[in-house]
Amino acid sequence: MTPRDRSPASVARVDAKQALAELVELSSQIRAAVVLGGDGAVLASTSDDAGAAEDLGRSALELTEAARELHAGGDNVTRVEVELEEGALFVVRSGGRTAAATTGPQPTSGLVVYDLRTCLDRIEDEVKPKRRRRVATPKESE
Amino acid sequence: MKGLLRLALLVALAIWAWRRFLGRGEPSERASVSYADGSALVLEPGSPGFERLAAIGRSALGR
Repeated sequence: MTPRDRSPASVARVDAKQALAELVELSSQIRAAVVLGGDGAVLASTSDDAGAAEDLGRSALELTEAARELHAGGDNVTRVEVELEEGALFVVRSGGRTAAATTGPQPTSGLVVYDLRTCLDRIEDEVKPKRRRRVATPKESE
Repeated sequence: MKGLLRLALLVALAIWAWRRFLGRGEPSERASVSYADGSALVLEPGSPGFERLAAIGRSALGR
């Protein structure tokens, strides 16, 4: 697959579950993944087990916080990778959302990060309900 | 020609043996972080902060 095939600009925006399903289909290296909203709540997960999804989400938030504390300015973290002998944990943040994924040992880091970022970029913003215009009752209009 | 092939084979074998037994490979464990200001950190085992990130990673991978 060429980088052009993976271009986020060429695809439509979708909801978190669909974006995550497409991510897993695209990246064979990813074992488990979650997408978290700005408040840390799990928006989508590759696992059917809600507890496992919560655990991975919690680890992603802990990792982001630990990484933030390492920086003198306490700046926002955009990416964290931890590569270990037993596998790797990736966390990518973009547009207020967080995507986290685990892989097996020695993953192609750049590709996994790119795929996670693409997944986040594809997620459309939640449609906000339009404010209803108040219709004046006959009494008020008098 | 045979001698040249033998020499090439010997050189290749010597390079492989050097890299396998004496060469210093990249550390198999590491962590890296990027920040919104464009800065980045690479942490290797023994560096401050690595163990904390590795512990979180191990716990996530062990589940």
